[in-house]
Amino acid sequence: MTPEGISELISRVSLRDRAAFDALYTSTSAKLFGVCLRILGNRTEAEDALQDIYVKIWNKADRFAVAGTSPISWLVAIARNHCIDVLRARKPAAAELDQAVDVAEPSPNPEQSAMATGEARRIYDCLGQLDTMRADAVRGAYLNGDSYEALARRYNVPLNTMRTWLRRSLLKLKECLEK
Amino acid sequence: MSPTPPEDTIPEGDDLIAAEYVLGVLPAEERREVARRIETDKPFAQLVARWQQHFDPLNDQFAPVAAPHHLKSQIDHRLFGTEPTLASMPLWTSVIFWRGLAFAALALAVIGFGRDLIEPRATSPQLVASLESAGSPVRTLAIFDEQTKKLKMTLVSGDIPQDKSLELWLIAGNEAPVSLGLIKSPQVTEFDLPQPVSAKLRDGTTLAITVEPAGGAPGGAPTGAIVAAGTVRGI
Repeated sequence: MTPEGISELISRVSLRDRAAFDALYTSTSAKLFGVCLRILGNRTEAEDALQDIYVKIWNKADRFAVAGTSPISWLVAIARNHCIDVLRARKPAAAELDQAVDVAEPSPNPEQSAMATGEARRIYDCLGQLDTMRADAVRGAYLNGDSYEALARRYNVPLNTMRTWLRRSLLKLKECLEK
Repeated sequence: MSPTPPEDTIPEGDDLIAAEYVLGVLPAEERREVARRIETDKPFAQLVARWQQHFDPLNDQFAPVAAPHHLKSQIDHRLFGTEPTLASMPLWTSVIFWRGLAFAALALAVIGFGRDLIEPRATSPQLVASLESAGSPVRTLAIFDEQTKKLKMTLVSGDIPQDKSLELWLIAGNEAPVSLGLIKSPQVTEFDLPQPVSAKLRDGTTLAITVEPAGGAPGGAPTGAIVAAGTVRGI
């Protein structure tokens, strides 16, 4: 399905069109389930999260036009934010540590970065200019939902040091992205 | 861009908080605060949107995984109650449909153009729609007169809001909503449907009503909340 097709479906969902909602689910649920599985790292939680996410999509569809972003990015952002909220609400924090260990370390994916073009390439290029460990921390946070706490444990540094590190990396990244 | 601060201080600023929110690294309480701020602080929301756009290309790395089949019906159950979607079941078993039809027939008889329903023409099915939405007071009925190409709509309950307009939209298949005009009367408003539009009005087409600025949506596309919607049925 083209981005235009998905935008159209979201607009119709905002008009309470259930056939459009069915079609939107059919064409996007695999991607969003992929997001849930990657971040939550277990199937039961991912299934619950996916349900919550589509309930949110139904209820928030009228805000898509306002968001002015690509439709699939908008949907993935809803899914990611929801899953990260679920992760952060988990107790105790040890669960997160287990999960962080289970999930394969995200590695720079040369094939994908080679495929990405123009604007999309930029984030890969700019991450490439960061120190490898710091780029991994940024990527890990985005793709796996690592918290500051989890990152501090992984890199064995105090929480504040982790935050300083990451914020510096973000400043550098921004400088590169908006050059 | 402020100069990079000395090595031992934590860089500060809204832009970094926005970036941390997008990355997802913040603890629960801080995330909730930021999420609230996004709702109320527009410049801050724009910082968040900008970071999100920067990171969007990484979304390619989320590999799609087919979701189990039972999830969709659970979602429908949560959103719409027990009935599966109207589209997926035979019309004659749909409680919603028969309830809507009985409601339509009754109200049409009351407002005086029910004759067509009671003595249906053999030639073509009569197109009717009952529009409503959970939590909204607005309920309307629409009936299409094939001969005059007029769609008649009546407000069964709810009012036309002051200083706003209620605008009627037709949504055919995958196409963008087409404005049919404004609801001008709490009794019956007649909408003239020119040929290209009336051709799109058939069984399964969606009609929806949104609240728009007085005079209607400025850009020709709906901008306001849906107060009622329904599917056209041929009977």
